Amino acid sequence: MALHSAIKGKLISVIGDEDTCVGFLLGGVGEINKNRHPNFMVVDKNTPVSELEDCFKRFLKRDDIDIILINQNCAELIRHVIDAHTSPVPAVLEIPSKDHPYDASKDSILRRARGMFNPEDLVR
Amino acid sequence: MVADKVDKEAAGQLLDAMYLDMFHLIEEHTQCRVNLERANASGAILLARTRFQAGGCNSVSKAQIPTENSAEFNALCRVIKAKDENEVNIERHAVDKANGYVEPLHWFSVLPPMSLRHAVTKFRDCIELVAESTNLQRQLTDVLSWISQLRQSMLKQ
Repeated sequence: MALHSAIKGKLISVIGDEDTCVGFLLGGVGEINKNRHPNFMVVDKNTPVSELEDCFKRFLKRDDIDIILINQNCAELIRHVIDAHTSPVPAVLEIPSKDHPYDASKDSILRRARGMFNPEDLVR
Repeated sequence: MVADKVDKEAAGQLLDAMYLDMFHLIEEHTQCRVNLERANASGAILLARTRFQAGGCNSVSKAQIPTENSAEFNALCRVIKAKDENEVNIERHAVDKANGYVEPLHWFSVLPPMSLRHAVTKFRDCIELVAESTNLQRQLTDVLSWISQLRQSMLKQ
Protein backbone atom coordinates (compact mmCIF):
# COMPACT_ATOMS: atom_id res chain seq x y z
CA MET A 1 0.00 0.00 0.00
CA ALA A 2 1.70 3.21 -1.16
CA LEU A 3 0.10 5.57 1.30
CA HIS A 4 3.05 7.88 1.63
CA SER A 5 3.65 8.90 -1.96
CA ALA A 6 3.47 12.61 -2.80
CA ILE A 7 2.49 13.79 0.66
CA LYS A 8 3.06 17.49 1.13
CA GLY A 9 4.66 18.75 4.33
CA LYS A 10 6.72 17.29 7.14
CA LEU A 11 5.95 15.62 10.43
CA ILE A 12 5.93 16.60 14.08
CA SER A 13 7.45 13.90 16.26
CA VAL A 14 6.80 13.48 19.98
CA ILE A 15 8.93 12.07 22.78
CA GLY A 16 7.20 12.25 26.11
CA ASP A 17 5.10 10.77 28.84
CA GLU A 18 1.89 8.86 28.17
CA ASP A 19 -0.45 11.86 28.36
CA THR A 20 1.72 14.00 26.09
CA CYS A 21 1.95 11.28 23.44
CA VAL A 22 -1.72 10.29 23.67
CA GLY A 23 -2.73 13.96 23.52
CA PHE A 24 -0.66 14.91 20.50
CA LEU A 25 -1.63 11.70 18.73
CA LEU A 26 -5.27 12.57 19.34
CA GLY A 27 -4.46 15.93 17.79
CA GLY A 28 -3.37 14.06 14.65
CA VAL A 29 0.42 14.24 14.57
CA GLY A 30 1.04 10.47 14.76
CA GLU A 31 2.21 8.45 11.78
CA ILE A 32 3.60 5.00 11.12
CA ASN A 33 5.47 4.98 7.83
CA LYS A 34 5.94 2.18 5.34
CA ASN A 35 9.02 0.96 7.22
CA ARG A 36 6.82 0.71 10.33
CA HIS A 37 8.72 3.49 12.05
CA PRO A 38 6.49 5.57 14.33
CA ASN A 39 7.17 9.27 14.89
CA PHE A 40 6.43 9.08 18.61
CA MET A 41 7.88 7.45 21.70
CA VAL A 42 6.20 6.99 25.06
CA VAL A 43 8.67 7.43 27.89
CA ASP A 44 7.98 6.04 31.34
CA LYS A 45 10.09 5.65 34.46
CA ASN A 46 11.46 2.32 33.21
CA THR A 47 12.64 3.61 29.83
CA PRO A 48 16.45 3.48 29.66
CA VAL A 49 18.20 6.76 28.82
CA SER A 50 20.08 5.02 25.99
CA GLU A 51 16.77 4.13 24.32
CA LEU A 52 15.61 7.73 24.65
CA GLU A 53 18.87 8.99 23.19
CA ASP A 54 18.74 6.53 20.28
CA CYS A 55 15.18 7.52 19.48
CA PHE A 56 16.03 11.22 19.56
CA LYS A 57 19.03 10.68 17.26
CA ARG A 58 16.87 8.60 14.90
CA PHE A 59 14.33 11.44 14.68
CA LEU A 60 17.15 13.93 14.02
CA LYS A 61 18.32 11.84 11.08
CA ARG A 62 14.88 11.48 9.48
CA ASP A 63 14.37 14.03 6.72
CA ASP A 64 10.57 13.86 6.94
CA ILE A 65 10.53 15.34 10.46
CA ASP A 66 10.51 19.12 10.89
CA ILE A 67 9.72 19.50 14.59
CA ILE A 68 10.68 17.27 17.52
CA LEU A 69 8.63 17.79 20.66
CA ILE A 70 10.23 16.48 23.81
CA ASN A 71 9.10 16.80 27.41
CA GLN A 72 11.49 19.00 29.32
CA ASN A 73 12.12 16.33 31.96
CA CYS A 74 13.10 13.85 29.19
CA ALA A 75 15.25 16.53 27.54
CA GLU A 76 17.14 16.91 30.82
CA LEU A 77 18.22 13.26 30.59
CA ILE A 78 19.81 13.76 27.17
CA ARG A 79 20.84 17.41 27.52
CA HIS A 80 24.26 16.84 25.91
CA VAL A 81 22.67 15.51 22.71
CA ILE A 82 20.14 18.35 22.56
CA ASP A 83 22.80 21.01 23.14
CA ALA A 84 24.92 19.48 20.39
CA HIS A 85 22.08 19.91 17.88
CA THR A 86 22.37 23.50 16.64
CA SER A 87 20.77 23.17 13.21
CA PRO A 88 17.37 24.90 12.82
CA VAL A 89 15.86 21.78 11.16
CA PRO A 90 14.47 19.77 12.78
CA ALA A 91 13.51 22.27 15.48
CA VAL A 92 13.67 20.76 18.96
CA LEU A 93 10.96 22.12 21.25
CA GLU A 94 11.09 21.39 24.95
CA ILE A 95 7.53 21.26 26.18
CA PRO A 96 6.13 20.99 29.70
CA SER A 97 4.38 17.85 30.87
CA LYS A 98 1.62 17.19 33.37
CA ASP A 99 4.06 16.53 36.21
CA HIS A 100 6.84 18.95 35.24
CA PRO A 101 5.93 22.59 34.59
CA TYR A 102 7.91 24.60 32.05
CA ASP A 103 11.21 25.89 33.43
CA ALA A 104 12.70 28.58 31.17
CA SER A 105 16.10 28.29 32.88
CA LYS A 106 16.46 24.72 31.57
CA ASP A 107 15.45 25.46 27.98
CA SER A 108 18.35 24.89 25.59
CA ILE A 109 17.71 27.95 23.39
CA LEU A 110 17.14 30.28 26.33
CA ARG A 111 20.34 29.09 27.96
CA ARG A 112 22.15 29.97 24.74
CA ALA A 113 20.50 33.40 24.77
CA ARG A 114 21.51 33.94 28.39
CA GLY A 115 25.11 33.24 27.41
CA MET A 116 24.92 36.18 25.00
CA PHE A 117 24.59 38.73 27.75
CA ASN A 118 26.83 37.17 30.31
CA PRO A 119 28.66 40.15 31.90
CA GLU A 120 31.99 38.32 31.72
CA ASP A 121 31.68 38.06 27.93
CA LEU A 122 30.84 41.72 27.51
CA VAL A 123 33.95 43.00 29.27
CA ARG A 124 36.36 43.92 26.50
CA MET B 1 40.75 56.80 12.22
CA VAL B 2 37.43 58.69 12.09
CA ALA B 3 35.97 56.10 9.68
CA ASP B 4 36.99 53.35 12.11
CA LYS B 5 35.18 55.10 14.95
CA VAL B 6 32.04 55.57 12.82
CA ASP B 7 32.11 51.88 11.83
CA LYS B 8 32.44 50.84 15.45
CA GLU B 9 29.57 53.08 16.48
CA ALA B 10 27.33 51.72 13.72
CA ALA B 11 28.19 48.15 14.69
CA GLY B 12 27.45 48.98 18.33
CA GLN B 13 24.05 50.40 17.40
CA LEU B 14 23.26 47.37 15.29
CA LEU B 15 24.25 45.12 18.19
CA ASP B 16 21.97 47.09 20.53
CA ALA B 17 19.06 46.70 18.10
CA MET B 18 19.67 42.96 17.84
CA TYR B 19 19.84 42.57 21.63
CA LEU B 20 16.51 44.38 21.85
CA ASP B 21 15.07 42.01 19.24
CA MET B 22 16.43 39.09 21.22
CA PHE B 23 14.72 40.24 24.44
CA HIS B 24 11.40 40.70 22.63
CA LEU B 25 11.69 37.23 21.11
CA ILE B 26 12.58 35.68 24.48
CA GLU B 27 9.49 37.27 25.99
CA GLU B 28 7.23 36.01 23.18
CA HIS B 29 8.87 32.57 23.26
CA THR B 30 8.32 32.20 27.01
CA GLN B 31 4.73 33.45 26.75
CA CYS B 32 4.05 30.94 23.97
CA ARG B 33 5.41 28.08 26.10
CA VAL B 34 3.25 29.18 29.03
CA ASN B 35 0.18 29.14 26.74
CA LEU B 36 1.24 25.72 25.50
CA GLU B 37 1.55 24.50 29.07
CA ARG B 38 -1.94 25.81 29.85
CA ALA B 39 -3.53 24.13 26.80
CA ASN B 40 -1.62 20.90 27.51
CA ALA B 41 -2.74 20.88 31.16
CA SER B 42 -6.39 21.44 30.14
CA GLY B 43 -6.11 18.54 27.70
CA ALA B 44 -4.56 16.31 30.37
CA ILE B 45 -7.41 17.12 32.80
CA LEU B 46 -9.96 16.18 30.14
CA LEU B 47 -8.11 12.90 29.49
CA ALA B 48 -8.24 12.22 33.24
CA ARG B 49 -11.98 12.97 33.28
CA THR B 50 -12.51 10.55 30.38
CA ARG B 51 -10.63 7.84 32.30
CA PHE B 52 -12.68 8.54 35.41
CA GLN B 53 -15.96 8.37 33.50
CA ALA B 54 -14.92 5.18 31.73
CA GLY B 55 -14.05 3.68 35.10
CA GLY B 56 -10.52 2.54 34.31
CA CYS B 57 -7.13 4.14 33.96
CA ASN B 58 -6.47 2.05 30.85
CA SER B 59 -9.40 3.42 28.87
CA VAL B 60 -7.21 6.16 27.37
CA SER B 61 -3.64 4.98 27.57
CA LYS B 62 -0.62 3.99 25.54
CA ALA B 63 -2.12 0.52 25.26
CA GLN B 64 -4.54 1.84 22.62
CA ILE B 65 -2.11 3.80 20.46
CA PRO B 66 -0.58 2.05 17.45
CA THR B 67 2.77 0.31 17.74
CA GLU B 68 5.44 -0.73 15.24
CA ASN B 69 3.34 -3.80 14.49
CA SER B 70 0.25 -1.81 13.58
CA ALA B 71 -0.77 -1.02 10.03
CA GLU B 72 0.79 2.06 8.44
CA PHE B 73 -1.15 5.32 8.52
CA ASN B 74 -0.54 8.97 7.72
CA ALA B 75 -0.44 11.96 10.02
CA LEU B 76 -3.45 14.26 9.79
CA CYS B 77 -1.30 17.23 10.79
CA ARG B 78 1.70 18.27 8.77
CA VAL B 79 4.11 21.14 8.92
CA ILE B 80 4.21 23.20 5.74
CA LYS B 81 6.22 26.27 4.79
CA ALA B 82 4.28 29.51 5.12
CA LYS B 83 4.26 32.22 2.45
CA ASP B 84 7.13 33.78 4.33
CA GLU B 85 9.67 31.00 3.65
CA ASN B 86 11.20 31.18 7.13
CA GLU B 87 7.94 30.37 8.89
CA VAL B 88 5.91 27.20 9.19
CA ASN B 89 2.20 26.52 9.39
CA ILE B 90 0.12 23.50 10.26
CA GLU B 91 -1.93 21.88 7.52
CA ARG B 92 -4.69 19.51 8.57
CA HIS B 93 -5.78 16.71 6.26
CA ALA B 94 -9.34 15.44 6.31
CA VAL B 95 -9.96 11.90 7.57
CA ASP B 96 -9.83 9.52 4.59
CA LYS B 97 -9.46 5.94 5.70
CA ALA B 98 -8.93 4.63 2.17
CA ASN B 99 -5.80 6.75 1.79
CA GLY B 100 -4.44 6.08 5.27
CA TYR B 101 -5.73 9.18 7.07
CA VAL B 102 -7.41 7.57 10.06
CA GLU B 103 -9.35 9.24 12.87
CA PRO B 104 -7.21 8.94 16.04
CA LEU B 105 -10.28 9.20 18.30
CA HIS B 106 -11.39 5.78 17.11
CA TRP B 107 -8.29 4.12 18.61
CA PHE B 108 -9.77 4.86 22.01
CA SER B 109 -13.48 4.48 21.56
CA VAL B 110 -16.04 3.81 18.87
CA LEU B 111 -18.36 6.32 20.52
CA PRO B 112 -15.98 8.84 22.10
CA PRO B 113 -17.34 10.68 25.15
CA MET B 114 -17.67 14.47 25.08
CA SER B 115 -14.71 14.97 27.41
CA LEU B 116 -12.43 13.11 24.99
CA ARG B 117 -13.70 15.25 22.11
CA HIS B 118 -12.96 18.39 24.13
CA ALA B 119 -9.49 17.02 24.90
CA VAL B 120 -8.89 16.68 21.15
CA THR B 121 -9.77 20.37 20.69
CA LYS B 122 -7.28 21.34 23.40
CA PHE B 123 -4.49 19.25 21.86
CA ARG B 124 -5.23 20.73 18.42
CA ASP B 125 -4.72 24.16 20.00
CA CYS B 126 -1.43 22.84 21.40
CA ILE B 127 -0.32 21.88 17.88
CA GLU B 128 -1.05 25.40 16.60
CA LEU B 129 0.97 26.79 19.52
CA VAL B 130 3.80 24.40 18.66
CA ALA B 131 3.99 25.93 15.15
CA GLU B 132 4.00 29.43 16.63
CA SER B 133 6.67 28.44 19.12
CA THR B 134 8.80 26.88 16.36
CA ASN B 135 8.68 30.11 14.34
CA LEU B 136 9.73 32.13 17.38
CA GLN B 137 12.50 29.68 18.24
CA ARG B 138 13.90 29.83 14.70
CA GLN B 139 13.82 33.64 14.73
CA LEU B 140 15.58 33.62 18.09
CA THR B 141 18.24 31.18 16.80
CA ASP B 142 18.87 33.48 13.81
CA VAL B 143 19.21 36.56 16.03
CA LEU B 144 21.58 34.70 18.37
CA SER B 145 23.83 33.65 15.51
CA TRP B 146 23.86 37.21 14.07
CA ILE B 147 24.78 38.61 17.49
CA SER B 148 27.62 36.16 17.94
CA GLN B 149 28.92 36.85 14.40
CA LEU B 150 28.80 40.61 14.94
CA ARG B 151 30.52 40.30 18.29
CA GLN B 152 33.24 38.16 16.73
CA SER B 153 33.84 40.69 13.97
CA MET B 154 33.88 43.58 16.48
CA LEU B 155 36.46 41.78 18.56
CA LYS B 156 38.67 41.26 15.51
CA GLN B 157 38.64 45.00 14.69
